[in-house]
Amino acid sequence: MNEQITATLAQLLEPRLSDAALDFWQKAQREVAAGAERSRFSALISMASRHAKRVPLEPTKTELAACQKAVTGWSPQRWNLLELLRVALICTREDVTEPNFAEDFESLFVYADEGETCALYRSLALLPAAERFVWRAGEGCRSNMLSVFSAIALDNPYPVKHFDDTGWNQLVIKALFLELPLHRVIGLDERRSAELTRIALDLADERRSAGRAIAHDLWLCLDANHAERSRALAEQLWPEATPLTRSAIVLGLARAAQHTEVQRLAETESDIDVAHAIDAALGGKFDQQQFARLITNKSETEL
Amino acid sequence: MRFFDPHIHMASRTTDDYQNMAAAGIRAIIEPAFWMGQPRTNVGSFIDYFSSLVGWERFRASQFGIAHYCAIGINSKEANNEGLAREALEILPNFALKEGVVAIGEIGYDEITPAEEFIYQAQLKFAVEHDMVVMVHSPHRDKKNGIIRSIDVALEMGVPPHKLVIDHNNEETVQSVLDAGAWAAFTIYPNTKMGSERMVEIVRQYGPERIIVDSSADWGVSDPLSVPKTAHLMKERGIDPVAIELTCWGNALEAYAQSGQIDVDELMQDAVIDQSLSYSDNSVLRGQQPRIDEPVKN
Ligand SMILES: [Zn+2]
Repeated sequence: MNEQITATLAQLLEPRLSDAALDFWQKAQREVAAGAERSRFSALISMASRHAKRVPLEPTKTELAACQKAVTGWSPQRWNLLELLRVALICTREDVTEPNFAEDFESLFVYADEGETCALYRSLALLPAAERFVWRAGEGCRSNMLSVFSAIALDNPYPVKHFDDTGWNQLVIKALFLELPLHRVIGLDERRSAELTRIALDLADERRSAGRAIAHDLWLCLDANHAERSRALAEQLWPEATPLTRSAIVLGLARAAQHTEVQRLAETESDIDVAHAIDAALGGKFDQQQFARLITNKSETEL
Repeated sequence: MRFFDPHIHMASRTTDDYQNMAAAGIRAIIEPAFWMGQPRTNVGSFIDYFSSLVGWERFRASQFGIAHYCAIGINSKEANNEGLAREALEILPNFALKEGVVAIGEIGYDEITPAEEFIYQAQLKFAVEHDMVVMVHSPHRDKKNGIIRSIDVALEMGVPPHKLVIDHNNEETVQSVLDAGAWAAFTIYPNTKMGSERMVEIVRQYGPERIIVDSSADWGVSDPLSVPKTAHLMKERGIDPVAIELTCWGNALEAYAQSGQIDVDELMQDAVIDQSLSYSDNSVLRGQQPRIDEPVKN
């Protein structure tokens, strides 16, 4: 196991544990490092819930930077303490690269409860040779439990790195269906495609035919392909769109490289927030973070 | 009023039930592992079932603002398939120690056979070793004898009486359960067995101490609203409100909170609808409406 990762985990974990929990963690750590049997390892993962609660971790900026440095894209911002303890226990295994670990790890998934399942999916991005677990990660995306799907799909750098195109597109579109915040799908900026754009535009048509609203996040899926359809969608929605929706459209059009269209819309725009979004988009700011700022109306520190 | 139904098989119930239960004030439930109505044929069937109790069903309940706990155990009926029951016994520890598992149950006797006794005792042993509460299902036939025997065996194995809940009692059995120091639960079935009317009289006669009301609603004709309905009838018939609160909420909470798996403070607050929202906003949202406008899309 990468030492920078285990050290970062310990630094995050230990100051947040009660004395009793710290004692459990230290003993468990020794036991796991010494090579605990599968059944014992699994019991330790379960019994972590007796020592750490599902309280939000609320990591500091410095801690988040350390995580980002250890693994690109890793953000435990929305983890809870129990998840962190479980992930730390997994990363304590000395045999993480061995087949024996892979078998034990898979067995954890088979017997996991909801909270454990989320923790297991969050651990994926930290493991070496993580491509071994790509089928398992796909199972997480097939889950009907929102919490489980979110654990793999959001704030998790694993999918963008390891999923094939089918798996990736399914993840993004399912997140859209579930009305989850797409700006938290790590790597969406880099991994847009003609196919993803088409699926998103088809979904927009489907929603319009059904007389239903189109999620703002749909505009995050677009790239420069199928530009005519993207422009047409924007034109159809624009006249009745709220300022927030107009900002999302502007951002989407910029992502679809339709700057001329954005300029054209700017001519008649009177809303100050939308005008601001237009300026930013034309200035090259139309990534996920920018979208998050615009749509959620939150300051940078809250994101 | 706020209710706790400490014995209900939600895997067999619909989202309509969940909606009606939440509307009727049911805030928390316990789903004990039991028979599926037809025999299981392999251990994988137990694994998937236990897994659904600690995962999927918990999630389903959370969408309606209902706290879902469960009991893990091998039911008495299937204890008679000896080979399979022994395999199930082996995987039991994989689930029994999970978060939110408040008891070993429902276990006990059905036909009172040696095979049932073996599985019952093995599970009692596990419960004692892990300091767990035990939920005992009492047999439909030869009930009184079955209950006395299940109490005797449990105490013999070292289960403290205050960690023993004997379920499906009636007028004939309640006294021996209370005398043993165990909790006496009553299943309120529409039409048959214990009805709400009889329950009112039992509370009138024995008082509320260690008496628990539940629905045991499952795949058969049963009523997931038995607990609130019985509470309302008790109120109508002049039972002390304190006794109603104890039998339909407080006692079950006290009995099963001994597991350490129920966050009592959190339960006393308003419903937390969707756990995933607590991840997305990094805080626990309270009092939000269930997402019943659209199903979980796949
Ligand atoms: Zn039952």
